[in-house]
Amino acid sequence: MALLRSLNKLVRLNPKIVNLKCARTLSSEASGEKPPDSKLGGYAQAFEKFETLKTEESKEPPQTFASLLRNSKFVDLGDPEGKVVTGKIFHVVDDDLYIDFGWKFHCVCPRPKKNAGEYVRGTRVRLLIKQLELSSKFLGYEKDVTLLEADCVLLGLVQDRSKNIQ
Amino acid sequence: MRSLSLLSRKWGSISTARLNSTLTEAQATPDPHKAALAHPDYFSVHNLFTVKDLFDARVHYGHRDGSLDERMLPYVYGSRLGHIIFDLDKTAEYLRRALNVAAHVAYRDGIILFFLRGAQNSHLVEKTAQECGEFAHTRFWRGGIFTNATKQFGAVTRLPDLCIFFNSQNNVLLQHTAVKDAAKMGIATVGVVDSNCNPNLLTYPVPGNDDSPAAVELYCRLFKAAILRGKERRKADFNE
Repeated sequence: MALLRSLNKLVRLNPKIVNLKCARTLSSEASGEKPPDSKLGGYAQAFEKFETLKTEESKEPPQTFASLLRNSKFVDLGDPEGKVVTGKIFHVVDDDLYIDFGWKFHCVCPRPKKNAGEYVRGTRVRLLIKQLELSSKFLGYEKDVTLLEADCVLLGLVQDRSKNIQ
Repeated sequence: MRSLSLLSRKWGSISTARLNSTLTEAQATPDPHKAALAHPDYFSVHNLFTVKDLFDARVHYGHRDGSLDERMLPYVYGSRLGHIIFDLDKTAEYLRRALNVAAHVAYRDGIILFFLRGAQNSHLVEKTAQECGEFAHTRFWRGGIFTNATKQFGAVTRLPDLCIFFNSQNNVLLQHTAVKDAAKMGIATVGVVDSNCNPNLLTYPVPGNDDSPAAVELYCRLFKAAILRGKERRKADFNE
C-alpha cells in the first residue's frame, strides 16, 4: 500500500519520468533486447538515442593522408601568389616582424608606420603572399638556392570580431 | 677466450658477468635481449603518433621542385604548384622504424647524440637531450671529432651508438660532416631528410619537413618519448 501511494505521488509530480522508468524495466526484463514495436514514448526514444550517441561518436575512422591533403587549407589556397592569409607574429627584432602563417616557412616584414605600437609578439595580422619560398636558380648552379623564408606583404591587423565582451 | 671477446663486441654493452651466465645457461633461460629484438614493437612506439599528428605539425611540406634531390623521389607524394609534398604514409612507416631503433638503443644503455644546425630550434633540441638523459651537438662540428677522437679529446673516447639528425644539412645547405663520419665509424644514424637532402648515408632516414619549428618540436617530443620508454623498460626488465 505504501508503495502504491508513493507511486501515485510520483505520477502527480512528473508523469514522463514514471513512463520512462516503467518502459525501461519492461524492456530490460524481456531478454535485454528491445521488442520491435516498443511502447516507449517520444521522450524515452529520444533519451535512448542521445545516450548511445556519445559512445558511438568517439569511434571515428582514421583519415587517410590523401583526404587530409585534399581538404587542407594549403590545397584550398590554390596559386599562392596574391592570396590573403592571417598570420601570427612570433618574434620581433626592432622593426622586423617574424610572422608565422601556418606554412613551412615564416615571413619577415618591416613594421608599418600606422599603429606601429600594436605589433607585438602574438598579434594576428593579415598578409598578402607574393612567394611561398624565396628560392631561385643562380647561374652556374644545378639546384635552387633557398633563403628558407616566405615573401609576404603586411596588410594590417586582423580585426577582432569575437562576440565575447571581455 | 677468442669466442668470448667476439661475442662481447657483437652484443655491445653486456657485462662479462652476464655473458658468462648466458653461455652456461644458454639452453635453460632465453636471452632477454634476443626476446626484445625479435619483437616487432617491444616498446609500443608505433602508438606514439598518428598520420594526422604529422599532418598538423606540417611534416608533409617540402621545398620547391628546383631544389629537389632525385634520391628523395621515392618518398615524395607529388608536387603542388611547384612545392614538394611528402607521402606521410611512407614517412609514418620510416619514423616508426627510427623510433623503435632509438628505443632499443636506449634499452641497451647506448649513447645517443642529437644533431641540429639552425639557431631557431637549437635550444629546443639541447633541452630535449637534457630531459631524456642523452646528448646533443648543435654547434660547429670540428673535423675529427669521430674519426680522430683520441687525439682531439686527449684520451680514449667512447663514441655514440646512435646519431639522430633533426636536420641533416648545416647552415650552408651542405650535408652535415657527422653523417659521413658516423658512417665511417660504424655508428647507426637516424636523420630527418627534407626534399633537398641526400638520404643515402643515413641508416634510418625519415623523409619529412625539417624547417618548421612545429615539425622539429614534434620530432623532439617523439624521440624523447621513445628513449624514455626504452630506459623505463630497461629498469623494469633488469632491476626486478
